[in-house]
Amino acid sequence: MVELRYDVIVVGGGAAGCLAALRFTEKRLRVLLVSKSLAGKGGASIFAGNLVLSGRMLGNTAEQAHSTAEFLVKYHNQYLIDQRWAERCGRWVESNYYAELERAGLYLRRDRNGSVVTSPGPIRSVAANVQGNSGVNLMDVRRKQLIRAGVARLEEVMVIDLLKRRDGSVGGVYAVSILSGERYVLQARAVVLATGYSDRLHRRSTGTREMTCDGLVMAWRAGAALQNLEMQWWHTNDLATPAVWQRVQIYPNPILGAPGSARMVTAAHEDFFDQQRDDPMAFGPYCLQLKALHKLVKKGAARYDGGYFSGFDNMPVSDVETYTAYAKAYHQLGMPGPHALLECGVTAHYRQGGVVVTDLTRMRTDVPGLYVAGGLGGHSNGLIALASFDGFNVADGVADDFDRLGSGDVDPASTRAVEMRLRDLASSGRRATGQYPSQIKKDLQAAMWDHCGVEKNERGLQTMLAILDDLATNALPNMRVPGGDGKCAYEFLGAIELDNMVEAARLIVLSSLQRQESRGPFFRDDYPYTDNVKWLAANIIRRTSAGVSFERRPYKCERFSPGFERKLNSEVPW
Amino acid sequence: MVATVQGEGAVVHGFQLNDLQRKDSLADRNALLRPGDLVHVRVYRGDSHSSTYTEYDVPYAPRMRVLEVLQYISSHQEPNLAYRWICGSKMCGTCGIRMNGREVLACWEAVLPSMTLEPLRNLPVIRDLVVDRDPYEDRVASYEPWVERAKPYADFPEHLDSAQMARMSLASEALTCISCMACFSACPVIGLGDLTKFSGPAPLVQAAQTVLDPRTSDQKRDRTLGKLEVFSCVSCYKCEEVCPAHIRIVSHVIEPLKRLVAEKYPRRARHSLSFERIVRRRGWINPSELVLRTRGFRALSNPGRVLRLIAHHKISLRKLLFGWWSRNAACRLIDLGRNKL
Repeated sequence: MVELRYDVIVVGGGAAGCLAALRFTEKRLRVLLVSKSLAGKGGASIFAGNLVLSGRMLGNTAEQAHSTAEFLVKYHNQYLIDQRWAERCGRWVESNYYAELERAGLYLRRDRNGSVVTSPGPIRSVAANVQGNSGVNLMDVRRKQLIRAGVARLEEVMVIDLLKRRDGSVGGVYAVSILSGERYVLQARAVVLATGYSDRLHRRSTGTREMTCDGLVMAWRAGAALQNLEMQWWHTNDLATPAVWQRVQIYPNPILGAPGSARMVTAAHEDFFDQQRDDPMAFGPYCLQLKALHKLVKKGAARYDGGYFSGFDNMPVSDVETYTAYAKAYHQLGMPGPHALLECGVTAHYRQGGVVVTDLTRMRTDVPGLYVAGGLGGHSNGLIALASFDGFNVADGVADDFDRLGSGDVDPASTRAVEMRLRDLASSGRRATGQYPSQIKKDLQAAMWDHCGVEKNERGLQTMLAILDDLATNALPNMRVPGGDGKCAYEFLGAIELDNMVEAARLIVLSSLQRQESRGPFFRDDYPYTDNVKWLAANIIRRTSAGVSFERRPYKCERFSPGFERKLNSEVPW
Repeated sequence: MVATVQGEGAVVHGFQLNDLQRKDSLADRNALLRPGDLVHVRVYRGDSHSSTYTEYDVPYAPRMRVLEVLQYISSHQEPNLAYRWICGSKMCGTCGIRMNGREVLACWEAVLPSMTLEPLRNLPVIRDLVVDRDPYEDRVASYEPWVERAKPYADFPEHLDSAQMARMSLASEALTCISCMACFSACPVIGLGDLTKFSGPAPLVQAAQTVLDPRTSDQKRDRTLGKLEVFSCVSCYKCEEVCPAHIRIVSHVIEPLKRLVAEKYPRRARHSLSFERIVRRRGWINPSELVLRTRGFRALSNPGRVLRLIAHHKISLRKLLFGWWSRNAACRLIDLGRNKL
């Protein structure tokens, strides 16, 4: 057991966590970054394909800048967002974000003459070195900034739970090294959870291996409220096979340096979505693609896990290969080039909802000592720039609050509870005869795909609740947890992940039952209308002694407003 | 691996290595298996101190990757199997292993009908296929792999002219490195252990990202160059062969770095510079002179070895004094090669 004490602990090594840790170091606070994978190599941030330009940069006009704000509110959050936060965030991205990254060494791709290459569409994007791989370079810059700044890191270390002080405030975390089995009690005045938004809860999902709802469930257990958990986004253009390439995409957003984007076609090779034609102003046309696919599936012309195709057969191969990495899949499958069409399937992608942030300037939650940054927050859908904005803000927030934060020791009972849980798991491994955690995870992911997938309804969601009950009462207590010496204990810790996944799934299903409308990527067959009278509101879930309670809290539409009360979601253009 | 001989002509059924050698394209490799076929896998189990191989059969699925095989084994047969991966799509660079002796990314490589999977070489094995990345990470960190400019700039984006962009293209290629360490494992010079101080291909690629970046100040560049050990590279191209990012590590990273180190720190490049000077003057290489020029009189400190080398005709006083060939042709060839780079 290693006991360490810092000023602040950041959990998560993605865009939000890394920038927060760097800012804390600048502010001379002693910070420890704990990451379940390698900082800068895990989490959804490495998947950022492009960097979407906000504001009047690099040829964007005032009208385009306006469209970017509109994009955040309308296309990216379906109005479920604090519009003042969206505007503040947009301004920060415009004036700080790109300049700071470039100063830190990020290479924005240039042409021969030294001009930054952008996409020529109405809303511009740039790439860090190669389009499709921008997040890899961006996060590599962050990783090296951490090394340069001497930020303390615990990597490949899984946080099992938050630890509380006697007064109920969060004062640390209990963590286990995946590789060595070493256990840590880490204490600090504040804990920042930055564990991301894209969890592997469905049979097909874009998250990385380690994204298993840990942060969401730890915050919930600590007493934080959650919101809009049902607002799950879906990627329509990830490859149907191979099974592990769930984040290899043939994505129809604008190509850098050339007009055009990939085309989505039916099995009969008929176009059903072309971003340039169908949705030029929505840079991330996720919802509209999904709605187009939804119509196809309803007609029986495609499935959510295949039966439709995407490719670049509408443009010269050189346009695809000059600045993008999109051709890599074709080459690795032994196909002649990106003009071929590849079968695609849907993957669970962003989760718009998450932990309720009660003060968006400081990123506080309603649990003292607990802060949130990035995709885990319920305040906006993720994007690497938005997650970075949170990382920036949370450092200011904790620094401002610092003198008022508790500094006492965590309650030993809090630590003992985690140790009991680990001991129970280890001993259950010897007596149980059930399935291994990874098998149960697969069953859970399959059930979520079938009953809480793209299309939802009361009956399916109730079925899912029953399945979750069954998992909790039968599968989990009989789970076979492998023992061993604790080295490389992926499967042992997989049992903790599974607990988190089952609990998160339950909260997501309950929240999905609660929102009785359809909105953006949230399709309820039994409530097909987008209902701005009742549901232009946050769907907040809280723990009570009796179970859970819900609150519906309307959003203010100060700058952008949908302009209708009720409309079929399939006819809403966002 | 079933081979049956049927009558005349010895018709061979089942997969053999020769099939792969004849048709080594990815399309053909992917076509070696059909859904329902069994993939036969031998996996390294253990750590650096003791190990064994365990065999598994895994049903093939369309376009199956090595990572799916590992996932299948761990959820059906061996839950304690240790293997590292994060992204599954050639971005994080953490799933590098050796398949049938060749470094691959588990997430990216098509399965073969029969595979032996082992951890990367030249790094301590923690368990099974998981290696300790720290020695590599520490070495990269010691090269200060970040851009440091001579002076701050005000505007965004930073101004870069076309002369700077000509240099940026090499740095841009190096920036596609995902630190998977495939090349670090494949490098035979790194495999010699402490016999050389060679930096190794991946650390040099990481260093090149900023050394070759025109935004980096001369002072910072020279500081990093001073720490690199490049001249032990024997240009065997093993690193380029296995690089999943297809970086031309020898020709576009190590050779430019060798030139920069030679310019800035000629003493470190004594062997290469002497080699070139001898060939320019003599028209061919004379090993005796090369050893004398590189090692100086230390070369004579082991008289027994010198006598053995003379006895085996490795050292020839006659050639040392009188061996002169067409120097013009040699100079022309050297200059031609230099201009090409």
